[in-house]
Amino acid sequence: MRKPNRREPFLSRKVRQAFSNGIVYLLLLAGSGFMLFPLFWMLSTSLKTMEEANSPRITWWPAQPQLDAYRQVLTDSRWLLYFSNSAFVTTLAVLGTLVSVAAVAYAFSRIQWPGRNIVFFLMLSTLMLPYQTTLVPQYVMFNKIGWVGTYNPIIIPGFFAGGALYIFLLRQFMLGLPKELDEAALIDGASHFQIWWHIILPLCKPALATIAVFLFVGNWNSLQAPLIYLQRTNMYTLPVVIANLINPQVRVQPWPLIMAASALTMIPLVIVFFFTQRYILESVALTGTKG
Amino acid sequence: MNPKLYTFLWAVATVIFIILSSLAVASVAKLIARWRGKNQLYQSRTFAGYFFASPWIVGYIIFVIGPTLASLYWSFTRFKLPEPPVWVGLQNYIQLLTTDDQFRVSILNSIYVTLFGLPLQLATALVLALLLYRRLPGEQVFRMIYYLPVMLAANSAMLITWRLVLNPNNGILNTLIRMVESVFPFLVPVRQVVVWFTELTNAAFLGLQRGDFNLLQQTVARGLPGPDVMPLWHQSQLWSKPAIIFIGVWSCGAMMMIYLAALCSVPTHLYEAALVDGANGWQRFWRITFPMISPATFYNLVVGIIATLQIFEQSYVLTDNGGPAQSTYFVAYYLWRSTFRFNKIGYGAAMSWILLVLILVLTLIQFRLANRWVYYEYEEA
Repeated sequence: MRKPNRREPFLSRKVRQAFSNGIVYLLLLAGSGFMLFPLFWMLSTSLKTMEEANSPRITWWPAQPQLDAYRQVLTDSRWLLYFSNSAFVTTLAVLGTLVSVAAVAYAFSRIQWPGRNIVFFLMLSTLMLPYQTTLVPQYVMFNKIGWVGTYNPIIIPGFFAGGALYIFLLRQFMLGLPKELDEAALIDGASHFQIWWHIILPLCKPALATIAVFLFVGNWNSLQAPLIYLQRTNMYTLPVVIANLINPQVRVQPWPLIMAASALTMIPLVIVFFFTQRYILESVALTGTKG
Repeated sequence: MNPKLYTFLWAVATVIFIILSSLAVASVAKLIARWRGKNQLYQSRTFAGYFFASPWIVGYIIFVIGPTLASLYWSFTRFKLPEPPVWVGLQNYIQLLTTDDQFRVSILNSIYVTLFGLPLQLATALVLALLLYRRLPGEQVFRMIYYLPVMLAANSAMLITWRLVLNPNNGILNTLIRMVESVFPFLVPVRQVVVWFTELTNAAFLGLQRGDFNLLQQTVARGLPGPDVMPLWHQSQLWSKPAIIFIGVWSCGAMMMIYLAALCSVPTHLYEAALVDGANGWQRFWRITFPMISPATFYNLVVGIIATLQIFEQSYVLTDNGGPAQSTYFVAYYLWRSTFRFNKIGYGAAMSWILLVLILVLTLIQFRLANRWVYYEYEEA
């Protein structure tokens, strides 16, 4: 006979499982709401009229969505210039950094050379160096050679394999490729440059894509360096322009316009993330387990 | 000349310079190898290795070693461009560490965000990772949504959106809070207490920071805020740092991913054994999961502290130049301000050295303490 306190639970195991999954789903949805609501608000505000955006009454979604703000941004030659400035800086910086990082990672993973460990250790130690330590003296240096007020200080340093973390990530990836690949090619008389370009790099496409995305995001969002080095308004990149859009002297801000410009700035990031998220999430997890 | 063409030409010149300097470095390395009597194969490996590594080596000399040494020297000088630096000895450091109130305020603000913000960020990341760890259908989509803020958070477009969202009067966040409270009225007193607690702690902190406790006395005298008092976020010095912490929690996706990877690597037989022993969920989490993922906590903590010490964009965009009343001056922001707004190069250099030493010391302390609480399953032989 069963004792009363050992009887079957009130709900069966299956029902309890479904119940707890339901709660987890609710929490996951709440979390998603938390993550997405600023983006929703950006989009909704960009479609409002000035009155709707600035009134103390909340308008969740405009009764008649307006595209005026977008039209205003996209037909303004100054905004188009800011977009092209950002695109120029980002493209050049990503390309230069990516190629040089790929070369250095190759040296650290596929070639045995004297001093490799020392150089590798030095490289890893720069991870600890705060950005600000080199920011101040680099400014003086660029000031001396007359580069302040040009795009050079923002773009050129990256060409020297800027970003120890990316070198490290790519090196880990390259270490995983079989040794026989380059040995066979070397015996066939291929040069290291040919091996790097024709054999190793094509195999590293997923890792290269991930690093390119990280570089893209970093450069597209960059505020501090452009603030310091760009002096003429017509050279400004998007983050610099947007950071100064709010005029504290005015009571009513052109929020629809500000939000439309912001949304247009975010769209490239969202699109790139959407198409590469699989690789990105994998390599983010990797940085932690290797740390 | 068109600034883009100008920079493009410089980029081409840089590439040529890098190739030439790499050839030079590699040739020197090869010569040394030959001089040491190494064989042909060794020499060619040396050449190739240095050739491919040179972009970084040359960059390290030009952009890291040179500037770092220069900045060390300038930190002992009074230096305003375009005049040459004047040696002043330890004066910058003495001024920073004793008389500069703004620097003290910045350091304390950075400590505030590290002490209160980082644990919140870690906890949120861990909770989200535990939810995702259930591997329910649709998990991929949630993972994507939770990571998306990491990509956007640093952009001023996002920070300016936060200014709108956090607006105390017609911002959506305070409206959402009111909406939830109208459904669950018992939350109103909870919010009153949270508001009171935040304002009291911030007023106390500001008082300690400035040696002036007027604000704290006012806050205490006001008593428990009425049910209509909402958080003022970036517009009040009592709420500006909580606002920045709130945004930090919003972008905890990277930490979450690292926790998720760690959770997946915990061997399941441990849980099975615990179930046999009759451990409940709470015990399983604190006795198995938490110790097993401690390396991830450690990594997040080290990276998080370094990132917190470098907060800049939030002060510049969200709170409009470190306001209100310097309540969001952080080390990196104050450094930028005094160096590039007020052209105090030597002073900024000294500050960057203090920041570097601070990061080194904090990281070293963490590695020392790590032995006590971080569990590595596979000890390196």
